[in-house]
Amino acid sequence: MNTDELGRKANWVRNQILEMIVSANKGHIGGAFSCADILVTLYYGGILRFDPNNPNWSERDKFILSKGHSCVALYAVLADLGFFSISELNFFCQRGSMLGGHPDRNIPGIEADTGSLGHGLGIAAGLALSGKIDKKDFMTVVLVGDGECYEGSVWETAMFAGHHQLNNLIAIVDRNQQCVTDFTEDCVRLEPLDNKWRAFGWDVKTINGHSFEELLDTFKDFRCRKSARPLAIIANTIKGKGVSFMEGELQWHHSVPTGENLRIAREELTLNK
Amino acid sequence: MNNQHEASDIDIRDAFFDEVYAIASKDPNVMFLTADMGALSLNKFKKDLSSQYINVGVAEQSLVSIAAGLALGGKGVFIYTIAAFITQRCYEQVKIDLCCMRLSVAIIGSGPGITYSSDGPTHHAIQDVAIMRALPEMTILNPSDPVMAAATARIAYKSRGPVYIRIDKGKLPLLYDNNENFSDGLALLKKGRDLMIITTGVMVHQAFKVADELAKHTIDAGIIDMYRIKPINEELLLSVIEKSNRIVTLEEYSIIGGIGSAISEILVDKGKALPVKRIAIADKNCVGYGDREWMHSFYGLDVDSITKTILEWIT
Repeated sequence: MNTDELGRKANWVRNQILEMIVSANKGHIGGAFSCADILVTLYYGGILRFDPNNPNWSERDKFILSKGHSCVALYAVLADLGFFSISELNFFCQRGSMLGGHPDRNIPGIEADTGSLGHGLGIAAGLALSGKIDKKDFMTVVLVGDGECYEGSVWETAMFAGHHQLNNLIAIVDRNQQCVTDFTEDCVRLEPLDNKWRAFGWDVKTINGHSFEELLDTFKDFRCRKSARPLAIIANTIKGKGVSFMEGELQWHHSVPTGENLRIAREELTLNK
Repeated sequence: MNNQHEASDIDIRDAFFDEVYAIASKDPNVMFLTADMGALSLNKFKKDLSSQYINVGVAEQSLVSIAAGLALGGKGVFIYTIAAFITQRCYEQVKIDLCCMRLSVAIIGSGPGITYSSDGPTHHAIQDVAIMRALPEMTILNPSDPVMAAATARIAYKSRGPVYIRIDKGKLPLLYDNNENFSDGLALLKKGRDLMIITTGVMVHQAFKVADELAKHTIDAGIIDMYRIKPINEELLLSVIEKSNRIVTLEEYSIIGGIGSAISEILVDKGKALPVKRIAIADKNCVGYGDREWMHSFYGLDVDSITKTILEWIT
């Protein structure tokens, strides 16, 4: 897809996120909106290698959503691509549903159970290491939240991946500047986040996580990088991106819009179609 | 079965790691990860199979998650460090990355109970069974002699889910023949007319000494080695204690959540109303340092104290 098409797809994904969360009366809308453009680029921009008809294809790239609470965005993408029926989205968090508030690998296309933060990078590093050992050329891509970077286990693994030169591993940080109840730089400062990753032996690129041009440009050579180091992509994003009253506002980590807010959210996302 | 209790010429930990070495030698897909914990018998592994050996550093959380990733990538994985650390420091990783994802990773905990006696409570593993037992998919093995220790390595290698193995140290007497396959999960090592002692790990050997003392008081005590703590073979357990009038559970472990708890739960659920005496480590913090023998006296787990506790209970 070109950047215009990616933009339209991302808008469709945000519409699905909104309706799933409204229908279930729960869900993490802010972080799902902040990472939607990243997911759409990975899955529709010709970046990741996958086969919806054969989710366990051995040569597939491995994508791990370490910030599992953003799964509503990934569910919409996977359903649209045909990993499972799109009608499943109607049952998000409903009784007996396959799709819950955090993802698990019983769902076609989901590689790992996530939800508690700080696990996904380690799992991704193990997968990347297995690929190195077996001389396979699949890539392992993990999306972590910036608030997730408070977890010590992230840095345990960052050190490991740097030491073992896992250049088949890419960590994307959804840098939306917020954790659940606070702005990251107000509660415990994360900056300089790029130099932290560099100090642990990673290459680092900082980009606009809502620019499809920058996202495509950053990912385009990810399979044939010359560097021996793993790559951290710090994607600057806006929590709640796509709905004006949510953007950058703390209350939309997991609030559900109702009434006039819901009408405005639907209108704005529809206008962008 | 061999109840002659010959002295073993091999440390139980070496017996285990020698078997892991044998498995990994034949299967290059097997990886061994340690969180900076060594063992004499591991040196051979590290030297001969260096590409299958990784020290992740003192980083238990990452150890478990990386192991999960390797298992997802098709590797057979053994992970290893001190029992208290590999269960408690990274409990959530074990719960989610291994149990929820049903991955066949072998978790090797060195030093169950108060093996690391004078190193103090930071190194005592007397809460690990309670928390590991609460995890769906988990198997817990607690070998009592070198033959069984080697067998547990093979059981974990063939397992389709996570297995936690508590590995003691020292040259424990031999209890089993090499042809045992340990699929039963428990073994009746001694029949007894008056009461049945159900025990596990290093305390199996203590139980034989206690039984000898009880015999001097004309009390005939049986002994069951409950080497698979989860899942417990309930059917076999109920069958071997069918004619027992009293049960004693004996463990080098907290009174909360170990085999005493597990067996009590089974008896309650099955409506089997038997008098049960749980002998274990009291629910209080360890104060003072000493060797394992001293700590057994401190906790009432030496032969004299156990014998006295049982005699007072039944008379």
